Amino acid sequence: MSRLVVAEWMKLRTTRAWIGYLATLVGLAAIAAAGTVGSAEDFRLGTSELSREILSAASFSTVLAFVLGIVAMTTEWRHGTVTRTFLVTPRRGRVLVAKELFALGVGLLLAVLALLVVLAVAVPWLEIDGSSFETSGTAGRALRIVAATMLWGALGVGIGAIVHGQTPALVGAILWILLGEALLTAALGLVDAGDVGDYLPGRALSAFDGSDAGGLPMWAGGAVAVTWVVALGVLGHLRMAREDVT
Amino acid sequence: MIEVRSLTKRFGSTLAVDDLSFTAQPGAITGFLGPNGAGKSTTLRAILGLVRADRGETAILGLPYARLTDPVRRVGAVLETFDAHPGRSGRNHLRVLAAAAALPPSRVAEVLELVELTGAGRRRAKGYSLGMRQRLGLAAALLGDPEVLVLDEPANGLDPQGIRWLRDFLRSLAAEGRTILVSSHVLAEVAQTVDRVVIIHRGRLVREATMLEVEAMAAGAARVRSPEAERLTGVLAAAGLSARPLGDGGLAVDAPPERIGELAAANGVVLHELTAERATLEEVFLSLTAPEGGEPGA
Repeated sequence: MSRLVVAEWMKLRTTRAWIGYLATLVGLAAIAAAGTVGSAEDFRLGTSELSREILSAASFSTVLAFVLGIVAMTTEWRHGTVTRTFLVTPRRGRVLVAKELFALGVGLLLAVLALLVVLAVAVPWLEIDGSSFETSGTAGRALRIVAATMLWGALGVGIGAIVHGQTPALVGAILWILLGEALLTAALGLVDAGDVGDYLPGRALSAFDGSDAGGLPMWAGGAVAVTWVVALGVLGHLRMAREDVT
Repeated sequence: MIEVRSLTKRFGSTLAVDDLSFTAQPGAITGFLGPNGAGKSTTLRAILGLVRADRGETAILGLPYARLTDPVRRVGAVLETFDAHPGRSGRNHLRVLAAAAALPPSRVAEVLELVELTGAGRRRAKGYSLGMRQRLGLAAALLGDPEVLVLDEPANGLDPQGIRWLRDFLRSLAAEGRTILVSSHVLAEVAQTVDRVVIIHRGRLVREATMLEVEAMAAGAARVRSPEAERLTGVLAAAGLSARPLGDGGLAVDAPPERIGELAAANGVVLHELTAERATLEEVFLSLTAPEGGEPGA
């Protein structure tokens, strides 16, 4: 299995797309961190609450990991490389598991990088302002951003395993996260079932990483998100195991 | 050794492959022929585990493809669709495959050299010509030094030198005892390369034969040229043989050359040419796959 994960890593590194992912992530995280520090009122400077808000600027990594997970799978169909991939590894479930593990690993790297970028912007800035970055109470938030980014990546792989068209998968998934879940939750609210919306994957992950205070408790959000990752992975496996590659 | 037994595959309402059985033996090149849409690619993809059979089974070295341990070391395949990422260099494409198949990275340089693609190895595949793409596919197929090769239209996009190169290359691989199954619609090319042919039409087997058997399918006929064509026609007619004039002044006779030569000698007719008529693969192919030759009730 490890050699398949290594192969996935090589696939990422041997086209130029990763440069775009990195540039986007570094740019967005830096801008968001600068915005948060720059707009902070004086009385919040040096508080751990502000520090946690600054760290949240790193959660752009979740979006990048989600996209990267979807693309890792759908690019195989877009460019027809799936034929060669399945010739080398005819047990298709192993390909899926390798991509899930790869997405978890890349999610980890992206989140750590995003956190470093955010700190590289915020810490010197606060020092220059005569304040400082209060580290107490921030470790938990940072770890949750890392874990959430990993789960978003794996979720993306599962979606790509179910929907192979790259554009439909990306557009559909992003619309679902940005709009679909909110609309569905609102609709469920009309029949007094708004709580069910908390169990949707995007809202569960927001509850887990702390970007959405309402909804499920943190650990429940994490557990629901893991369940979604596994469920989409199983559905994707069922689809891929039987389909014809023509 | 490749075995196909009663393979049947339906796509929607189209019966792509219909109860097809044949084998490809080690040490020989088997040509897999049929008109466009006859079911060649579907059959090859079923053999390679990419398409699921509705009925019947396929085996390579005695096992279905998906049950082979280390398939890259047992079977190499080139399919008609280009299967490298356009943004990745040919060399990196092969490095990824070698990593996934646990092959030593040194194999990458070896196969690039083998298919004469070393110079372009570091260029991104999107800039490759059709011929270079075929060579890259072949390099991927050869990575694991497999004993079985399955090639779908490998001559596509190759220039005459490339086709010559491919033919010699496949011959040398077969001489090493490997099993080679190659589909093609370029019949003249196939005829010079293969030892056996499997001809399918509308998803069904119409003929499985050696090239010697194909050539013998027109046995018993001869072409003859004589400065005394009229006298020869008369001599042949007296012996009960009909001679049909050919455009170039020769005659086509439905008799073995031995008999014609004996009659001519006995009657003192001068002959300038006397050859046994061999069926070409193309003639046999066209007669077997002619539209009106379709199986009844189909």
